[in-house]
Amino acid sequence: MFTKLRTPKGTRDYLPEEVERYRYIEDELKGIFELWGYQEVRSPTIEFVEALSTGIGPELVDNMFKFQDFDGKILALRPEMTAPVARIVTTRMATMPEPIRVFYVSNVFRYSQSYIERGREFRQAGVELIGCNTSEADGEILSLLISSLIKLGLKEVRVDVGHASLLKDLFEATGLGQEKKGVLQSLLSYRDEARLEKFMDQNNLPSKLRETFLQFSRCRRLDEVSSVSIGSSEFGKTDNHVRNLLGVKDVLASYNIEKFVFFDFSLMRKIEYYTGMVFEASAPNLGLPLGGGGRYDDFIEKFGQLKLPATGFALEIEKCLQALIAQGFQIPEKTKAKILVLSETKSAAIEAARIFRDAGVVTSLDVLGSDKKKTEEYAKLAGIDYVFYVASSLDEPAMVYDVGSNFSRNVTIEKFLQSVGSRA
Amino acid sequence: MKRKIRIAIPSKGRLKQRPIQVLQRAGVDVLEEERAYVSETSNPKFEAVFARAFDIPVYVHYGAVDLGITGHDLILEREAEVHELLDLGFGRCELVVAVPEDSEICSIDDVPAVARVVTEYPNISRKYFEGLGKQVEILEVRGTSELAPKLGLAQIIVDVSSTGETLRKNHLKAIATILDSTCRLACNKIAYRTFESEISDFVAKLRQGDLD
Repeated sequence: MFTKLRTPKGTRDYLPEEVERYRYIEDELKGIFELWGYQEVRSPTIEFVEALSTGIGPELVDNMFKFQDFDGKILALRPEMTAPVARIVTTRMATMPEPIRVFYVSNVFRYSQSYIERGREFRQAGVELIGCNTSEADGEILSLLISSLIKLGLKEVRVDVGHASLLKDLFEATGLGQEKKGVLQSLLSYRDEARLEKFMDQNNLPSKLRETFLQFSRCRRLDEVSSVSIGSSEFGKTDNHVRNLLGVKDVLASYNIEKFVFFDFSLMRKIEYYTGMVFEASAPNLGLPLGGGGRYDDFIEKFGQLKLPATGFALEIEKCLQALIAQGFQIPEKTKAKILVLSETKSAAIEAARIFRDAGVVTSLDVLGSDKKKTEEYAKLAGIDYVFYVASSLDEPAMVYDVGSNFSRNVTIEKFLQSVGSRA
Repeated sequence: MKRKIRIAIPSKGRLKQRPIQVLQRAGVDVLEEERAYVSETSNPKFEAVFARAFDIPVYVHYGAVDLGITGHDLILEREAEVHELLDLGFGRCELVVAVPEDSEICSIDDVPAVARVVTEYPNISRKYFEGLGKQVEILEVRGTSELAPKLGLAQIIVDVSSTGETLRKNHLKAIATILDSTCRLACNKIAYRTFESEISDFVAKLRQGDLD
């Protein structure tokens, strides 16, 4: 009954002031992504559920908004952007030379099964580097992530890096069931050796595997993983994964960003397609991650045509904004002067507005024909800086009302433009 | 300079008394126990916040506080994704399904396929009964769900019980235990990264205090 006045649960409106803040973040990110050679792609908001659910894991599939098309096919709102990008690359960019660098700034939608109210629409900005599996590619992604966060004005950012397959292979080696693997993952994330040892004792993990878990869980920096001694053949491809992490570390050293990067052996992402390094970015003033990502080498081939390794990240715009606000960052406001033009002679007003706009000054034209007093009241309330009353022709000086100082003066349009030009 | 680490302590209810003592033994004396929402402590690295035990999991999840002392049952009920760094041992209780003593329902299997349940724990209760394949209507109340059977609102309640005393006094019997709970030290996931050394020192001290 009242739905015409509301928006659905978990969605909201964004008013001009807030949009400006989001725009600041999105424009900064877009700018830096482009500087690093990434090109923007856009995908449809609704897609076939099959395309969107490929390889992302059951949790995210459960959280998709699904509905039926007129021909009976099941559609969904995209819950993340990597699957759409993978589909685009597979179907539309197959002949592009690799590596392919793309970025997106999009809204994504997630439906929470929980009765606890959470947001359902989020804006994400992310990049994907597709077609190579080198440590340089992983290093580029981490470096771009850190550079992006710093560019936004965030301080004390950090990125915690883990390795999806390293954890997976070692978990497999335990032979534990799904539930116990979950417990093990929690204990690793608590970094509590006593509880970890007790758990591994109770579950009769072989001593070499126990030692491997303990050693990895003690590492806090990427270079420390080199000291973990393990036999390559024993637990999956552990040695390869460690080599990969150390390769990434070397690249980070060249970028001189090692100090921002930490190792977290327990790190797991909710999305399933990751095969290599995985990571989360955070700032100390915000209790939730700013974003994250990782390497997904087997994902694109699930779309059936191209076998392309890839790596990338996504940032949550809202989280970045919250972290900036928590750090007391002043989002730079656009300082352009705003002018309201009016005249008894319509053509003169339109001509004046054109001159101002050509000069890059934000200009609105009076459309009400109100009297002077009402117009000035409106200007005050609407955040206008100057009211510009044009006489019958622009050759004559106009009367300018300065809203800030509540003072009027007569001035020609050229003179006036010079004075506001400094503000524009 | 690093900011202070915030720890939330239940402001009232069954979980209030012990946390303050436990913190004291870990070298964090809460200096203003009464009234103040944010209280200084004897340890310059920590400040204490008093909050409803029920809300603490949410505060920790979002990082409004870095640490929180609250029940395991409440962490599950609020679906908070937090690190449970320490089982503090106290505040032991069970979340039980209870019915009037004279009810024909004697075990969880006797619960009819369609029933009404009154509880302070709608989320856990819904999942529990769904897991049993039973469709129940859940009525959420704050506190005293024991009243519901007396008033004929529902035969079945889901509530915490530590000694069984309250159930007996209200002529109720427990027919199933959904989970066992104790107080936990919950930690925000990002805060654990940011303040790892401080927080693990604190956890070590808490653990030592426990043994003394």
